[in-house]
Amino acid sequence: SERPTLRAVIKVTLLKHEPTGKPIVLEGVFVGGSAGKAEGKLMQYHPLSLCNTSEDERQESDFITIVKLEHRVPRCKALHDKARMALDKGAQAVIFDVSDDANAAAELREIDSLPRPVVLVEAEDAEELMGLVNKNEEAKVVIEIKMEPKWPHYD
Amino acid sequence: PHKQISGVSSGCQQGGCLTCSDYNGCLSCKPRFFMHLERIGMKQIGVCMTSCPPGFYGTRSPERNTCTKCRSECDSCFNKNFCTRCRAGFYLHLGKCQESCPEGLVRSDTQRECV
Repeated sequence: SERPTLRAVIKVTLLKHEPTGKPIVLEGVFVGGSAGKAEGKLMQYHPLSLCNTSEDERQESDFITIVKLEHRVPRCKALHDKARMALDKGAQAVIFDVSDDANAAAELREIDSLPRPVVLVEAEDAEELMGLVNKNEEAKVVIEIKMEPKWPHYD
Repeated sequence: PHKQISGVSSGCQQGGCLTCSDYNGCLSCKPRFFMHLERIGMKQIGVCMTSCPPGFYGTRSPERNTCTKCRSECDSCFNKNFCTRCRAGFYLHLGKCQESCPEGLVRSDTQRECV
């Protein structure tokens, strides 16, 4: 049966505009039964950095990983394992930009039992996030479950 | 669709790149080049190099040649288990960086070695 997908609200505030800056509000989809709240500094990881467990990078643990997946990068690991490795490296949550890897979305939607939030983004939402990364604009990200409006009862 | 992000030097213009993207830099390297994942602030891009930078060592494999970080106490190394220069406060002996030296040897702070 089709697994219900919970949408994520992603609020992005540039650190240089804190604390009063108005957040950019984007959306994504939770996968892996991992819906929940998370907060941290946005930190990009190259898709190849989630291949082996070297002691390459152990960040402080208040960051949220974003990975732009590319179908041209040979899969060194299943995406579920990549997500888990990113979380093991200390990420509070993982955001996968699946705009350029159509299979990734399907693969990621199948997984479950992830300990912290994993969110898929694409199209304009992904482009906005990766645009910030590309300009090295340090930003704080808050991820929450999107509350769908409750329809009034018509008796 | 890969948009060229103006004003931001992306890894794409390097000679060693085989495939490349604006956001991730190099995705794969030409033969004999090493893939190094370079952290620049919040960004991490792939860079193809003929040899790995200090603090990293090169590993060759059929799928890809990569640069891997030396052990934390090493400033430079041949591989995971053989350091060639230690971080301050550590002393090199038989390829290992230790905080103290075996009997009969003394610590040289200038060379960071047991001598």
